Amino acid sequence: MSDPTTNAAESAPRTTPRAAGKSVPIFSIGRVYTIASSTVTQLVRMKTFYFLLAFALVVVAVGNFNIPATPAKELSMIKKVAFGTMDIFAWLFAIVATALLIPKDVEDRTLYTILSKPVRRIEYLLGKLGGVLSVIAISLVAMYAICAVVIFSRESLFVAAEYESMVASGQYTEAEIDEQLSLIQQQGLRAELGIAVLASFFKAAVVAVVTIFLSTFASSSLFTIIVSILLFLIGHAHHMASSFWLDESGNSVVVQMLVKVIKILIPNYQLFSFSEGIVQGEAVVSALVWQMGGLTAGYLVVFLLLSLLVFVDKEF
Amino acid sequence: MSEPAVEVKNLTKVFSLGLRKEYVVAVDNLSFEVKAGEVYGLIGPNGSGKSTTMKVVLGLMAASKGSAKVFGLDSGDIRARNEIGFLPENPYFYKHLSGAETLRFYGKLCGMKGAALKDRIGELLKLVDLEGAANRRLAGYSKGMLQRIGLAQSLIQNPRLVILDEPTAGVDPVGSRQIRDLIMRLRDEGYTVFLCSHLLEQVQEVCDRVGIIFKGRMRREGTLDELIEIENQTSMTIENATPELIAEIHELIQSREGARIVEEGHSRTSLEHLFIQIAERSREEKS
Repeated sequence: MSDPTTNAAESAPRTTPRAAGKSVPIFSIGRVYTIASSTVTQLVRMKTFYFLLAFALVVVAVGNFNIPATPAKELSMIKKVAFGTMDIFAWLFAIVATALLIPKDVEDRTLYTILSKPVRRIEYLLGKLGGVLSVIAISLVAMYAICAVVIFSRESLFVAAEYESMVASGQYTEAEIDEQLSLIQQQGLRAELGIAVLASFFKAAVVAVVTIFLSTFASSSLFTIIVSILLFLIGHAHHMASSFWLDESGNSVVVQMLVKVIKILIPNYQLFSFSEGIVQGEAVVSALVWQMGGLTAGYLVVFLLLSLLVFVDKEF
Repeated sequence: MSEPAVEVKNLTKVFSLGLRKEYVVAVDNLSFEVKAGEVYGLIGPNGSGKSTTMKVVLGLMAASKGSAKVFGLDSGDIRARNEIGFLPENPYFYKHLSGAETLRFYGKLCGMKGAALKDRIGELLKLVDLEGAANRRLAGYSKGMLQRIGLAQSLIQNPRLVILDEPTAGVDPVGSRQIRDLIMRLRDEGYTVFLCSHLLEQVQEVCDRVGIIFKGRMRREGTLDELIEIENQTSMTIENATPELIAEIHELIQSREGARIVEEGHSRTSLEHLFIQIAERSREEKS
């Protein structure tokens, strides 16, 4: 009697293995893109975008508070809270999402099947980083859109109310009304706020690449998350550390050397806080934006190289 | 003579345990060859060094001493990975992907695209009998289905060598039989299969040659016949034998000096075969 379990295999088309090996390019942007797009799909299907709902709730709640202040101050307050929350969500997301990726691939042995294909380890790391950065960028754009809607609606309300009340009082000239309204509009939705979002992206990108570096040798996601948050906090204390330990003459050479080493190894996240000024209505210096872009690219290259140094000879 | 698919020469792999200067020798001066087109089984108990040997062949680990080559290429050479399809033990692929998406992902990693990739995915889904579950996410796959989609991903770039680590671990007899049949089919189609297992009955069914590894060392190696034959015994299976014929055979054997019947009885099916027959019959009745 024939065995029915063999039917599927027997009826399937026959293929014959290749006779000779195929060359493999030194670097393939296609493989990086494949891993990056799979990472985006993974993060999207893990329902990570649900945090956007939490963000929307925070922003809408803040936008509807009745703060006893002038319209301009109220708008300024809404922007401060909304962009501050956006910044926190971006770096926190960068840490958590990145920390889950590589250790999980190792734990689930998915990495075995990927690295047993003609994939170079740098392509894998770049793909993972590219995927996380794409999701961060999409999230920031979505969060910015939510902020823009709330700020614009509040701004429109304030401008209309102020105009009506000033016209109704009959005490103000047209020029005075325009001046008052432009004061409100200065704290409203402006194109420069996009630079503040870019600053948050720069910071989150550096946080993500540092987390990738940690996850190349970390044994678990939890360890990676905790250490990344710790480094993030230390990275905000560069200025304080310099003034306390380096400028004080009473500290030993060892302490001073240690602080210098930490300053080199841990990115200075304080530098990325230039977005706070933009949110407050300060003028954007384009040279500073380019400088920060360059710094971000520098951190990405250095930490990717460090990650590769650890990862290239890692045994699984 | 054609180039061996796998050539392991004096392979030694030593692991250091943490910061203490303690070492474990996982593989000890191991040498063997897998010829192109054969099914080679490396068998041994847990912790005998089978998986470590495989990982060195796959380039996931470096040898402490010795070498491993795949079709003449050093196992660390990325070109060697183009020749290999690998199915790890208990594979966990991305659960968020469907079966077809999984194959597309691995195909793209191998540089495949367009219609060629689409056709190959269709072929492989048919081969592993998962056409009906192609668009279902892997999170909803059974153990046997995962193993089969794993086997399909290992074949995506049409490699010359397929490495299988415990291919039927945790799979029920029906699923196990399907995988066994697929392995035999791969051999018929000219693939070289190198598998590790501790399920001896299965290795015996599918392998042309077997190596027995214990504590990192090769203890015995050869074809199945060489390893399991008992030289001074012969077995015969007779169909429709009458009692008179059996009596004549008995008489004949007794008349020859030194010859004796060691074992006699009705042929039996294996429990695995019986289980599969019952399962299939139930499935047919249901449909």
